[in-house]
Amino acid sequence: MINGTLFRREIKANGILFIIFLGIITMYSVMIVMMFEPEMGDSLRAMAESMPEIFAAFGMADVGTTLLEFISGYLYGMVLTIFPAVFILVLANRLVARYVSDGSMAYLLAAPVKRRSIVISQAVFLIAALLLMALYVVGMICAASAVLFPGELEVAEFIKVNAGVFGLWIFIGGICFLVSCIFNDSRRVAGINAGIVIYSYLIQMVSQVGDRFEGLKYITPFTLFNAKDLASGKTGAWVACAVLYGAGLIFIFSGIRIFNRRNLPL
Amino acid sequence: MNVIDINHITKDYGQGRGVFDVSFEVKKGEVLGFLGPNGAGKTTTIRQLMGFIKPDAGDLQINGRDCFHDTDQIHRTLGYLPGEIAFIDTMKGLEFIRFVASMKKMKGLGRAEELIRMFDLQPEGKIEKMSKGMKQKIGIVCAFMQDPDILILDEPTSGLDPLMQNIFVDLILAEKARGKTILMSSHMFEEVEKTCGRTAIIRAGKLVAVEDIEKLRRNKKKVIEILFETAVMAEQFGLSFPDAKIKGKTVTAVIGKELDAFIKQAGRYTVYDINIRSQNLEEFFMHFYGGQDHD
Repeated sequence: MINGTLFRREIKANGILFIIFLGIITMYSVMIVMMFEPEMGDSLRAMAESMPEIFAAFGMADVGTTLLEFISGYLYGMVLTIFPAVFILVLANRLVARYVSDGSMAYLLAAPVKRRSIVISQAVFLIAALLLMALYVVGMICAASAVLFPGELEVAEFIKVNAGVFGLWIFIGGICFLVSCIFNDSRRVAGINAGIVIYSYLIQMVSQVGDRFEGLKYITPFTLFNAKDLASGKTGAWVACAVLYGAGLIFIFSGIRIFNRRNLPL
Repeated sequence: MNVIDINHITKDYGQGRGVFDVSFEVKKGEVLGFLGPNGAGKTTTIRQLMGFIKPDAGDLQINGRDCFHDTDQIHRTLGYLPGEIAFIDTMKGLEFIRFVASMKKMKGLGRAEELIRMFDLQPEGKIEKMSKGMKQKIGIVCAFMQDPDILILDEPTSGLDPLMQNIFVDLILAEKARGKTILMSSHMFEEVEKTCGRTAIIRAGKLVAVEDIEKLRRNKKKVIEILFETAVMAEQFGLSFPDAKIKGKTVTAVIGKELDAFIKQAGRYTVYDINIRSQNLEEFFMHFYGGQDHD
């Protein structure tokens, strides 16, 4: 059902972008893992105590003492949510809206293929890129931990956290892909998607600072990803995670369906 | 046998834009010109044939298959040249041609090399750096390289210089001789005149007529503008041609069969300058079909 030629073209066109984001993520991740060292960790905690609101905003309040808690607190609150989100919104735009916007979609659709197979191909590429990113992140952090602090990381629990964050990526990917399938102008798609991602993240930041705005957490999807609860196997966290996967896939299918039926200004 | 069938399609974009109850067909082995001024609805019709947009009413078929749903079947043997030049700009010319060939599931590049030579195309550089004409040539190569049985070409010669336009006309005539079915849109009469047997004429979204090219050619007139030595001469000359417009020393007239009489009459006066051009499409339509539909 997917189109091999188009898939290869996307690998070539987006490979550099992908590698750049992996590079950024690797740099931050290794840095955080290195900071687990007792003294460094102490200084980080001292910093957190001196400006609790700011640390809380990034989901870094009361970070625990194990390596897993340390990583999920400091990495999965920001670096591994916001950077992938930026990657997703650029990629989702490139996969559909940009071809429509610049008119080159005409050449894709003039080929002896169904429109559906073109758009499914792009959706599969998006999911595959995110899956590869998730697998890389797991491998890279496990490797960094094994080198720096052998035996410290609880790998099984760590994988659970990543299964959760992958759900969040699928959710964001679903929204961005859907928007990319609906509109004709790629700048508009970029604007809407950036707006959604930034809004959701800011709301989450505000909701994490003190009790006054806690209620806001119910209007941002980021709340559905809770690294700490996922690791400790709380049912609620896994239900929320399933919602992320489910909604993300529904968004993607809706995008495919809408694109398949709509009029294109080519 | 009809290869392309368009049955009463309507696509209303509001404010009088779109196409309204358009029907015509293209027979097997025929080159049909699709003529109309800019904004008349040519591209809107072609987009429906390509399955990019769905008609509000009516239906379109190619080889008996529905144009919106059966694109995978129809496009197997169809070459398309978009009216707007749009490529994946970051690609190089040859890279793009290879990409399109692969999308079309071709083994190798088919006729691409032959066409590249024919049109003197230099496909090495990045597409975004190329001139308009060069981009148009890439589009032509992409449309023809598969050697398809059906060709849908939206304003194929736009951006080409006269030499390349002639090469293109030769290519169309050669393909016609090989039995290809071609639908070619244009806003210039001369372009279809050389290649097409019949012409569908569209104006303000409505199909005006489908005519044999011979009939159009017979009715086609020239616009002649003569600058006389004095205004008096212009006025006197104008007496014999009541339809002519006189402005100072200049007389402008639309002339068909009476060309000989017109020139001989003008020869009696001192002529400083003469300008002869073909009617443009809009003027031609005004004469041929009247101006009542024109808003």
